[in-house]
Amino acid sequence: MLLEAKDLSVVYGRTRAVDGVDISVGEGEIVTVLGANGAGKTSLLRALQGAVKPSRGRIVLAGRDVTNGSSAARVAGGMVLVPEGRQIFVSMSVHENLLMGAYLRRDGGIETDIAAIYERFPNLARRRDMKASVLSGGEQQMLAIGRALVARPRLIMLDEPSLGLSPLFVEQLFSLLKDLNRDGIAILLVEQNTSMALELATRGYVFELGDVVLQGPAEELLGNQALVAAYLGGGEAAPTEIPPHAGS
Amino acid sequence: MLIAQQLVNSLMLGSVYVTVAVAFTLTIGILNFLNFTIPTLFMLAGMMGWAFAERGLPFGLSGPLPWPLALALAIVVAIVASLVVERFTFRYLKARYGDATEHAIPLVSSLGFLLIFENLVRIAYGTDAQRFPGPEADLSVEIGGLFVRLPQVVSLVVALAIVLALTILLRRSNIGRGLRAIAENPDAATILGVDVHRIVPVVFVLTGVLCGLAGALFAISYGEVSPTMGDDIGTKAIAGMVVGGLGSIWGAVLGGLIVALTETMTINYFGADTVQVAVWGLLLLVLLLRPQGLFGHNAIGKGKL
Repeated sequence: MLLEAKDLSVVYGRTRAVDGVDISVGEGEIVTVLGANGAGKTSLLRALQGAVKPSRGRIVLAGRDVTNGSSAARVAGGMVLVPEGRQIFVSMSVHENLLMGAYLRRDGGIETDIAAIYERFPNLARRRDMKASVLSGGEQQMLAIGRALVARPRLIMLDEPSLGLSPLFVEQLFSLLKDLNRDGIAILLVEQNTSMALELATRGYVFELGDVVLQGPAEELLGNQALVAAYLGGGEAAPTEIPPHAGS
Repeated sequence: MLIAQQLVNSLMLGSVYVTVAVAFTLTIGILNFLNFTIPTLFMLAGMMGWAFAERGLPFGLSGPLPWPLALALAIVVAIVASLVVERFTFRYLKARYGDATEHAIPLVSSLGFLLIFENLVRIAYGTDAQRFPGPEADLSVEIGGLFVRLPQVVSLVVALAIVLALTILLRRSNIGRGLRAIAENPDAATILGVDVHRIVPVVFVLTGVLCGLAGALFAISYGEVSPTMGDDIGTKAIAGMVVGGLGSIWGAVLGGLIVALTETMTINYFGADTVQVAVWGLLLLVLLLRPQGLFGHNAIGKGKL
């Protein structure tokens, strides 16, 4: 397994956001984590990336225990998070944002990799010297993903990447994720767009109140959408993101 | 011609304000932290420069040193002192309370360091002002009827050069981008591998360099140092930073020069007693009319470098 977390718990004060979760992502796999708002998906990703310290459990990345390591150790180990809300640096130019993805890299291939990002996202190339704040929501998401790619990850984690994007951009986003996976990058995707996520993924986990309540091959979950929808507590998700038969 | 001479004089005075104001704006911009030890680092450089040049290293380790060497060592003292402050205000509290941007406690503890450093210097060297045995401070040339004092010209050039070097560091280097990323969004920066523990000391080293250099330039330009030399400079530099706009380095440069100009003009027309009223009146006026400062982008709060 490329990434393996065992018995992972995250506690904020008295709230147990993640409660003894086992989760894994294999080399080149696409895994999706589904769940209602507040189910602990973001806390899970933040703990995996080292942005919050887990109160219990182990995280092993490519055979190395990184539980007590920094985020930097994870990035260097090939795991990058594209955080919720994109979190690009709006005071920096598009190009500088991409360079931030290479913060830990010391090799000479950075410019080549950035050129490849520009080739993939021509809109970013056109705005390379502009402040990132002028980008549209969709372009900002592309920049956030591009920035993560410059770190040369083996595993990319995305937290609600489709949130706030137009349907056209969501289509593009999912086909981009498929492309990235074809290039050999494993993906851990947290999404509210359940059907699209399950159609893309190989495996899925369903979260409720910080715990995994359902897991299995994506096809199986896709065939059992009513059960998945029940756990998602449809009422809390944004209307457009509820699968057609949610709430039944 | 009188006005022109005043302008020249304020440019010279401004070089010290500029350097210290940039030190303030750097820590505010990156760490959201008003570092009260900055004036005392400035004073330490000046006083230790004098002590090394006049009395030699402490505990009789050496005789009096040549003044350039004394000032270089004094700048090192300021850098080390700045790292001590980082260790005990920022790092310790971060480990204990888990948030590097929790600024109330570092603010108060840095105020504590201000008083401790100042009084340690008083205990060691007394409270009197001392004459710095540097180059002749009055050495001046006349250019087109204007008297320009050479040590002050050197100060201005060195001050602007160090600020320029700092902006290049922030714009062009990987570590500079890391600092700006921490300034804008510590969370996103951390996720990308910027290690706050490693980068915060860099801010304090830069602070030590800026304040140490300012103290050394002051000693050379004015030929006099004292344990309280930081007090006045500190408040003027804060005024300059706010007038220029928090978190804007070139704003701090222009703000520092504007404060110096206000000071020389006020002394000239109304006398020395009115200086503080004029400088802080200007500051309040700027805050009322343009809360983001003359060159800042956003109102007081977290800056962007």
